[in-house]
Amino acid sequence: MRDLKHKARKVDAPTRWLRVRVWLMGAVFFAGLLAVFTRAVALQVHQNDRLREMARDQYIREVEIAARRGDIVDRVGAPLAQSVDVDSIWADPTELPDVKVSAKQLAKALNLDPKELRERFEKAKRFVWVKRQAKPEEVAKVKALALNGIGFSKEPRRFYPQRELAGHVVGIVGKEGKGLDGLELAFEEELSGQAGRREGFRDAKGRKLVTQRLDDDAPREGATLTLTLDNRIQYMAEKALARAVADAKATAGMAVVLDPKSGELLALANYPRLNPNTPNEAHAEAFRNRSVSDAFEPGSTFKAFVVAGALEEKAITESTLFDCEKGAWRVGRHTINDTHPQGILTPGKILQVSSNIGAAKIGQKLGREKLVDYYARFGFGDRPGLGLPGEAKGVVPFPKADISLATESFGQGLTASAVQIAAAYGALANDGVLMRPYLVSKVVDSDGVVVLENRPTELRRVVSARTAKSVVSMLEAVVEKEGTAPRARMDQYRVAGKTGTAQKVDPLVRGYSDKRIASFIGMVPAENPRAVVLVVIDEPKTDVYGGLVAAPAFKEIASAAMPYWGVVPSRPMAAAASGVESPKPLEPAKPSGPNPVLAAIASLDGVTENGISEGAVRVPDLSGKSARKAVTQLLATTLEPHLLGTGRVKSQQPRAGALVDKGTRVTLELAGQLH
Amino acid sequence: MSSEAKKTPSYDPLLLGAVLALVGLGLVMVYSASAIMAQEKLNDSFYFLKRQAVAACIGLFVMAMAMKVGYRRVARYAYPLLILAVILLVMLLIPGVGSAANGAKRWIKFPGISIQPAEIAKMAWVIYLAYSMAKKREKVQSFSVGFVPHLAVCGVLVGLCMLQPDFGTSVGLLFLMFVMLFAGGAKLSYLVGSVLLALPFAYHAVASSPYRMQRIFGYLDPWANRKGSGYQVAESLMSIGSGGFTGLGLGDGRQKLFFLPEAHTDFIFSIIGEELGLLGVAALMLLYGVVIWRGIRASLGASEPFGTYLGLGITSLVAFQALVNMAVAMGLVPTKGLTLPFISYGGNSLIVLMGAAGLLLSISATAEGAKRRVRVARPARYEVPVGASEATA
Repeated sequence: MRDLKHKARKVDAPTRWLRVRVWLMGAVFFAGLLAVFTRAVALQVHQNDRLREMARDQYIREVEIAARRGDIVDRVGAPLAQSVDVDSIWADPTELPDVKVSAKQLAKALNLDPKELRERFEKAKRFVWVKRQAKPEEVAKVKALALNGIGFSKEPRRFYPQRELAGHVVGIVGKEGKGLDGLELAFEEELSGQAGRREGFRDAKGRKLVTQRLDDDAPREGATLTLTLDNRIQYMAEKALARAVADAKATAGMAVVLDPKSGELLALANYPRLNPNTPNEAHAEAFRNRSVSDAFEPGSTFKAFVVAGALEEKAITESTLFDCEKGAWRVGRHTINDTHPQGILTPGKILQVSSNIGAAKIGQKLGREKLVDYYARFGFGDRPGLGLPGEAKGVVPFPKADISLATESFGQGLTASAVQIAAAYGALANDGVLMRPYLVSKVVDSDGVVVLENRPTELRRVVSARTAKSVVSMLEAVVEKEGTAPRARMDQYRVAGKTGTAQKVDPLVRGYSDKRIASFIGMVPAENPRAVVLVVIDEPKTDVYGGLVAAPAFKEIASAAMPYWGVVPSRPMAAAASGVESPKPLEPAKPSGPNPVLAAIASLDGVTENGISEGAVRVPDLSGKSARKAVTQLLATTLEPHLLGTGRVKSQQPRAGALVDKGTRVTLELAGQLH
Repeated sequence: MSSEAKKTPSYDPLLLGAVLALVGLGLVMVYSASAIMAQEKLNDSFYFLKRQAVAACIGLFVMAMAMKVGYRRVARYAYPLLILAVILLVMLLIPGVGSAANGAKRWIKFPGISIQPAEIAKMAWVIYLAYSMAKKREKVQSFSVGFVPHLAVCGVLVGLCMLQPDFGTSVGLLFLMFVMLFAGGAKLSYLVGSVLLALPFAYHAVASSPYRMQRIFGYLDPWANRKGSGYQVAESLMSIGSGGFTGLGLGDGRQKLFFLPEAHTDFIFSIIGEELGLLGVAALMLLYGVVIWRGIRASLGASEPFGTYLGLGITSLVAFQALVNMAVAMGLVPTKGLTLPFISYGGNSLIVLMGAAGLLLSISATAEGAKRRVRVARPARYEVPVGASEATA
């Protein structure tokens, strides 16, 4: 005991030091804990977002699911542009077993260049397209290789079932599915919808563990564009135009069909044609939507506006006489010529024979300001506002010189687009009221909500009804034997029209060349025009006159359109029309039976009763159909679809077979999963 | 006095609670971190949990034994344990005996169990140092008696560890030696001097091989070599970082989906950080903080120098491993291969550490008694601060 106590006393000093040193070590450890915790705060609080994002990048595979692009349909719902799901093949090069070998195998299966593919793999980080929009057999081949790091995703591919039909209007989309031209470009936002996102967790070995579909991020299908075009009229116009261009050995052409009462464009045709399915194969010249984007010197078709303006301003009357100077009239240092020298003529006669000198004299009577004013009132120099890219507005310069006044009176020295000319004639046909021309009647999104709707819009009264009627009746004489366009004359329908044969400016010599633009614009039937049809032939080689090269195409289009619409013939033919009552526009159609014209067309074109009757349609039976099919069918029968739920049609309201007004909303209740 | 000694020893409840909480948290995290991998590789998602649970049971038994037997009896096993550790470490080097993991020979496999000599060596080293310090007392200050022999034994152990190679354990052994020598009163000039002397050699060893250089300093910028040497650290950083304040939720971590290797062993801290967030990390810090605080307290209150040294040694062992493991996971120091004490999967480590905790608890029990007596004895300043219980015996 004593010994121990002694020892204890002896070690006391070192023990005290021991206590201090142990305390010090404890302090060091606590400092260590503090340091580690500080680091944890830095990582988990300050760098949280960045690190979480980085971690996410490796375990979340976020695949963007392209939304189905909306359809573009004509006025009766016939699709002009549709989207079809096609497989695309992609790769994650970091997960490929061997980039070299894999590239070789894939290249062989897909008919690609192995070297180029390998280079793409080496350049890419985690994602690279191997082949987009691959054919089904190619997909099968790649699937058979069973390579790690290869993925497939459905991509909607744009498909134009009617090929060239209205190709310029519809436009084209690129590989990425973005609109590049035409309506595809103009309505890109509406058509493209909203891409969805699908997330899948993956582990370090690249296997997908869970597939989640975030409801909020489900893709939203693009909106459907309904056009005013009628695919049948469009077809007739394109066919007739192509034939006319070929017959005239011309370089190009355009045709416009317009409903003068509503301003709806029923056909917009261009030549050369464009197949939007294969834009790569098209010649550069074929991309232009000429009827909308080309402003050209129109020529004599403008004389009608001068006469209308002069009549309206009472500068002339129908019976005012003009000396047409035997075909040659000096204006300042220039001489104006007529193709066929004329003597003293009334305004009607001037239009009938298309005297430049006569028109120039009427223009003189009207005066510079009034002339320009009337052209402007008819819509020239203003963009028509169809919504298409690159719409031309044309130029109507103020005619300071006398010669300018003279030439502008017969449509030279100013420019206009085909759509503008058609719309302006529409004003004459519509008792002097100019309607705003339009092409897109409705944009309806995937929920059935109408995003945009165009209705017939009066722009302004250009001339009085009396003046308009008077000019139209003068224009009827144009297709008489003595007129410039007897070839436009129709047996059953009264036609009012005007030819135009303009000299083209040669940009190289800055003067007029011997090239021509020949055109004919007509309205039919003249007593109550249902359509204005413009045909323009660019650089005809055989004949150069509009009455010769363009008028026949007009007649072809009009001859097909009139019975298609069931328009009552103006001059009943003995056989065709004895006692026939034909339906007036916007009146519910009677069953087609007693109307031989309708019956004839129905049998010819296979058009259903629903397709041609003007007011009432039968509700189709949609039970059991997929939502997509049902909507297509409803649109085709001009009914407005209203969808509830998803899946297949369970019930519909009104019931199948019910006779309802066009545009009636049909409510479809959907149920069950697709597939 | 005698009545107090007869009383059942009062173990530090805070220390006991913290250790048990750590073991419990470890079981949960081992399961969370390993389940998917175990299901994938062994077709049994509970495989690692079951084995860890068995180890925890054995560990509890060993801990109870250590508490009952008391730390004093351990002193006499200091040399036998040290010799056993050396034998086991040497056995590892015999071809066919040592079992490799990740290119290093770490295990001696027996049917049913496998032994990790490094874990035993660390504990044997702590006991030996405590024994030696307590025995040599002020002689520790001398160069020949206090400094050189420890350095020599340490050299043997470290050399054997480096042959595996096991860098982490080597550093741990060196660290423990410095801590104990420091506490034992070794001259700071020797300690600092030896470190300064070692530096050029260490630098040469590292700098001579660009591979090792990159491996060791790669942690400084794990993103630069994300696919190579920086992979583990980068994944660990992303894991911890994505946990945020509250974590992704227990079991909802993504990084264990084979992105983070050793998720249930060396990098279990990353999963804790990811799934339990900063709150979980704070709780873990708190538990280790309690262990360190109560360990130091027990050490200071020990009734004899051996207890003080042993308490410090055990506390240092736990603290060093915990700090280094967490620092590695957060990219503060190079990868070491040290487990997170009480948490990481690994039976050897868990059993040894729980045994060590038992010893620490037994020190705390005597400390309680000693403290009370010290307080009573305070007026007589030089009375019986040490060896009181021996005196009563």
